[in-house]
Amino acid sequence: MQNYQPAKLLRLHFTERDRYQGKPLYEAIVSKCHELKIAGASVFRGLEGYGDTAEIHRSHILTHDLPIIIQIVDSEENIRRLLPVVEDMMDKGLIAMSDVNILRIQKTAKVQNV
Amino acid sequence: MLSKGTAKKVTIYLNEDSQHHLGSLYEAILTFLLHRGVSGATVTKALAGFGAHRIMHTPKIEVLAEHLPIKVEFIETAEKVDELLPTLYDMVTDGLIEVHDTTVVKIAMKEKRRAEPKQPHERKAGKAKLMRIFMGEADRLDGEPLYDAIVKRLRMMDIAGATVYRGILGYGIKGHTHKQNLLHTGRDLPVMIAVVETEDKLSLAAEAVEEMLQDGLIVVSDVDIVRLIHPHSLLEATDAKLPAS
Repeated sequence: MQNYQPAKLLRLHFTERDRYQGKPLYEAIVSKCHELKIAGASVFRGLEGYGDTAEIHRSHILTHDLPIIIQIVDSEENIRRLLPVVEDMMDKGLIAMSDVNILRIQKTAKVQNV
Repeated sequence: MLSKGTAKKVTIYLNEDSQHHLGSLYEAILTFLLHRGVSGATVTKALAGFGAHRIMHTPKIEVLAEHLPIKVEFIETAEKVDELLPTLYDMVTDGLIEVHDTTVVKIAMKEKRRAEPKQPHERKAGKAKLMRIFMGEADRLDGEPLYDAIVKRLRMMDIAGATVYRGILGYGIKGHTHKQNLLHTGRDLPVMIAVVETEDKLSLAAEAVEEMLQDGLIVVSDVDIVRLIHPHSLLEATDAKLPAS
């Protein structure tokens, strides 16, 4: 594991219902990450959960209010650059940052920044 | 106790009617192996064959139908085989004993369900590593989904556990946005596999994954783990353990 590089993992917890300028917050954050040339971001949806407000988020027939986690991995420098922007976009939720070691594997794809 | 890795396979060729103290020889050998705690033995009756006596044993000739070849096979550790061989050598008065080097890949034993009173579980805490592997749902390896292939490989390596998550949106090393469209065509959503293991085993797992992954990211971090183990599952989980410290 000697070729692994230190990096930061950022996890943003909020819910599916949170919105930013009319669109879902998770979509807005992912677009923002792309815009800021962050290496990558993945959005995961939980099955059930609760957080700050202690209301249980679960799926209903009509409303979707499930927990959302965005995981972002990049160099410390890039994460620090992203952090204030994300903090500004989220008005409730949780941000967790941890130290990680990463290895990028790129055998076939060419980076094409769309 | 036989475990995964190198072992010896012993094959003994006999005649069905070979005798040992008034009983049949293969039964005597089987009983001997059972009493000496050998982990398993199989006796196979052959369809036809011949041996050192140069007589064809086949069920077609009525007189010889009771003289069919018998094969006794068992797999044990080298030490155990060394311990058993002198006696077997003595018992097999007419036949052949062969020892091979072999590799045990899997030993699985289904636990017998017992109606047990509920017992408190054991709590084990310690340091471990968490590996997250990021890839696309559409990634394939030899025709099967890559996440499937990785989980299977990890399972074969006796890695304690792996969980696959599918994301709903994302982008990464491939440069394109993974987004679920309504028609589910060309779907390539982000997939993450999370694996928790001891440092040593995790670095082996990471090496295997590095080889299999085409485009993706491996993220490793330190974690503190707490495992809750049921007392009766301790016995069967001999080769999938995390540190007890």
